[in-house]
Amino acid sequence: MPSLNTIAFYLHRITGVILAIYLCMHLGFLTTVKTGEYSSLIKVTLSRQFLPFDLMLFLIGIYHGVNGIRLIIHEFGFLYRHRKILLYLTFIITAVLWVVVAWEVVM
Amino acid sequence: MRFKIRRFDGERSYWQEFDVPVKRGMTVLEALYYIKENLDPTLSFRASCRMGVCGSCAVRINGKPRLACETQVSKLKEPVKIEPLKNFNVIRDLVTDFEGFFKKHEIVKPYLIRKSEGEIRQTPEQLKRYYIYTLCIKCGACMSACPVAKNCLGPMPVVSAYRFNEDSRDEGKEERLKILSDHIWHCHFVAECSEVCPKDLNPAEVIQKLRLEVLKFSMRW
Amino acid sequence: MSFHNVFAVLMKFDVVIVGAGLAGMRAAIAIAEKNSRVSIAIIAKTYPIRCHSVCAEGGTAAVLDENDSFDLHAWDTIKGSDFLADQDAVEFFVRECPKEILTLDAWGCPWSRTPDGRIAQRPFGGHSFNRTVFAMDRTGFHEVHTLYERMLMFPNIERFNEFFLTNLIVEDNTVKGVTAIDLKTGELVLFEAKAVILATGGAGRIYGFTTYSHTVTGDGMAVAYRCGVPLKDMEFFQFHPTGLVPSGILMTEACRGEGGYLLNKNGERFMKKYAPERMELAPRDVVARAMWREIIEGRGLEGDYGPYIALDLTHLGEEKIEERLPLIRETAMKFAGIDPVEEPIPVKPVAHYTMGGIHTNVNCETPIKGLFACGEVACISIHGANRLGSNSTAECLVFGRVAGERALEYVLKRDFKSVSRKEFEREESRIFDELLGRSGDESPYAIKRELNETMDKNLWIFREEKGMKEAVKKIRELKERYKNVEIVDKHRGFNTDLIQTLEIGYMLDLAEVVAICALLRKESRGAHYRLDYPKRDDENWLKHSLAYKTADGVKVDYLPVTITKWKPTERRY
Ligand SMILES: Cc1cc2nc3c(=O)[nH]c(=O)nc-3n(C[C@H](O)[C@H](O)[C@H](O)COP(=O)(O)OP(=O)(O)OC[C@H]3O[C@@H](n4cnc5c(N)ncnc54)[C@H](O)[C@@H]3O)c2cc1C
Ligand code: FES
Repeated sequence: MPSLNTIAFYLHRITGVILAIYLCMHLGFLTTVKTGEYSSLIKVTLSRQFLPFDLMLFLIGIYHGVNGIRLIIHEFGFLYRHRKILLYLTFIITAVLWVVVAWEVVM
Repeated sequence: MRFKIRRFDGERSYWQEFDVPVKRGMTVLEALYYIKENLDPTLSFRASCRMGVCGSCAVRINGKPRLACETQVSKLKEPVKIEPLKNFNVIRDLVTDFEGFFKKHEIVKPYLIRKSEGEIRQTPEQLKRYYIYTLCIKCGACMSACPVAKNCLGPMPVVSAYRFNEDSRDEGKEERLKILSDHIWHCHFVAECSEVCPKDLNPAEVIQKLRLEVLKFSMRW
Repeated sequence: MSFHNVFAVLMKFDVVIVGAGLAGMRAAIAIAEKNSRVSIAIIAKTYPIRCHSVCAEGGTAAVLDENDSFDLHAWDTIKGSDFLADQDAVEFFVRECPKEILTLDAWGCPWSRTPDGRIAQRPFGGHSFNRTVFAMDRTGFHEVHTLYERMLMFPNIERFNEFFLTNLIVEDNTVKGVTAIDLKTGELVLFEAKAVILATGGAGRIYGFTTYSHTVTGDGMAVAYRCGVPLKDMEFFQFHPTGLVPSGILMTEACRGEGGYLLNKNGERFMKKYAPERMELAPRDVVARAMWREIIEGRGLEGDYGPYIALDLTHLGEEKIEERLPLIRETAMKFAGIDPVEEPIPVKPVAHYTMGGIHTNVNCETPIKGLFACGEVACISIHGANRLGSNSTAECLVFGRVAGERALEYVLKRDFKSVSRKEFEREESRIFDELLGRSGDESPYAIKRELNETMDKNLWIFREEKGMKEAVKKIRELKERYKNVEIVDKHRGFNTDLIQTLEIGYMLDLAEVVAICALLRKESRGAHYRLDYPKRDDENWLKHSLAYKTADGVKVDYLPVTITKWKPTERRY
């Protein structure tokens, strides 16, 4: 069983890759504005069935963002002694933010 | 007590199990010697000082890189799984190839660079600034734990560089920062090195501190 | 099984240094500093920073204070040696020590300091002045790392890590090279050399209860001995008073230097009976014997692993222990589960230092031309019958440098002598066909265990004729059995089974020499204490023993001791 440090590291990478792929898709999506298929595509992504994907995307984005801030703090040489707390906080803040955002979206 | 050891004979890699009678106060290294001398003489591992200062005996014990000579058998979960260090090429059984590791160490100019001559004074406070970083025994545990060390410098050389940079007798800080500026950014702050270091040197912290210094140094150029 | 088709790997170096401990690395640097064109190979069976020298804890002696003097250091050393040291060598040695300390300072050794930034010094057993320079209680560790790091600066030093010396190639009393097994590939490699420096350390693992690293098996001594170089004063083996029970890990003398007490089961500081002035800080042999006496006479404390003596630090307080002896505290907690802040540490005397070694003169030259020896493997002799604490790391530094400088002078005047293919093949077949390829029914490890038991029993602190005769007989029997060992591991790459079997062969030779020299020396001097001859006998025995290997066993000769200004007197502390 890898430790939380390692899990955080791999999650950061995986979420990063997913976000990069998402970004490419997103850009591709936007180019359809010109070709005119945009309005039909936007209907699909705005549908209720698509919501779980959006929620996943939020989770991934939030985690990557929060963990990124944690890493930046450490990389400036700060709060090393509190690294464990910061690590736990990362997961807690991610969860809380996600729940709040998801609540807003779903309701 | 049951030991599961990862073997490699140059071609084939496999697990082998041994039962070792455990005495009070026995270390993993003593168990390995017991196996070699009584059960299977072909088992290969490195060891020398058996007192945690030479750095020969680091292996993965139940997944975690540790010094075999410093690990009490009684504190481990059964079966005790013993594997060679990660991120090193395995030569034989628990013996891994350290040539590359020591080559990496050389990159950061890990020696006192000093042109001045004459009597040297260093106060106990100045000594304290770097002293704990002199304690690195180069066992390779940090390199084994780091998920990115295989493709970059890894934690150990950075600690060495920091040790000399902070030494009041040294005059080579800039040279070292320049070298480090090519290497120091690979760290992802997994901080696993700090978790496993048998001498508690906190390599992860050192890397982050040095990053700031490298940054300051590069800005001046 | 035949390996003759393996192509002989050949290397050529002006100087080959065998052993990368303190002495070997100091020699390499000494050469490289003086001459950047001479090619140097330093080969060792461990990585340099894994050598045994990293275990040295207490410190290194040197006269730095203006109130101290060279004569006083020399006198302490000679008196400590029970007058068996060669006094010209000692006088030279003490004058060189301070330079080495300052050199290491300029190379980055983290010496402990006084508040005004000078190098701090502390008291040590047998020294009548606080002259031991230290780097916390990890002195050897820091010295080794400093030298290793320094060595990286010189491009003409080539390191061969994990190469195991098997033999010297000698012709016409001149050394031509060495052969070594490259552990990684398992191949035999020939190093041609104009000069060879042996710095392979002591022979401590012939004993079972010992402070030595597993790798200290006296290989260099045995190899030289087999090539006809005499071994000097091998009967003198130092016993350190305080080895941690049960592992034998050293509890440094600094524990006592910093004010620790030795107590018997009545809680009595028994050293007042044996050395009323110096108490716990009397020389090692005196303290070790006192402790062993207490144990034999039933005043030891009883523990799971037999009787022991208590080393009490509790009165020093946590702060002082943490500051001055952190490693000791860590070790006691890790390996014996005892916190010295709270309870006394269980200790007993333990085999610790090989005073004897390859016979050399003050210039580290052996009787074979081009062959030098320095460090613990050599016997120059500055330690005589008993080494003073913190003199041996100093010896490694001083004489490491001397050996390097002398070897450099020597090679500048010489050419290579070629080694014939035959000589190499003979060695190859000795190891791979005769030893590795053979089948037999003896386990080398059983032989080692019995050897250790014999040595621990019969050549320990108190010796007597009967026991030693038994030991000689037993060792000879073991040597016979060794001819029938089988190495189970037939692989070439990293074959530690083969290496350890070779080491055990070396140890058997050395143990025989130790036992025979001890049996012949009919007196008690320094570390060699005989119950049947409890007095020192200067009339007959103020001389070094030299053991030669001959076709019919060990032959022992004697050599007078050099005396300059200090006449032997009774040793009292
Ligand atoms: C626990 C302990 C504490 C000590 N504390 C002190 C102290 O406080 N002060 C003090 O002055 N002295 C101390 N000593 C003694 C001192 O440490 C040693 O005498 C000294 O380190 C010996 O150094 P060396 O360079 O001669 O040999 P070593 O350091 O033993 O080095 C030997 C080298 O030779 C190599 N080698 C050996 N055999 C072969 C082979 N067959 N082929 C290739 N290479 C080989 C090894 O790999 C190693 O690199 C202590 C000793 C012990 C055991
Ligand atoms: S054997 Fe030296 S560190 Fe474990």
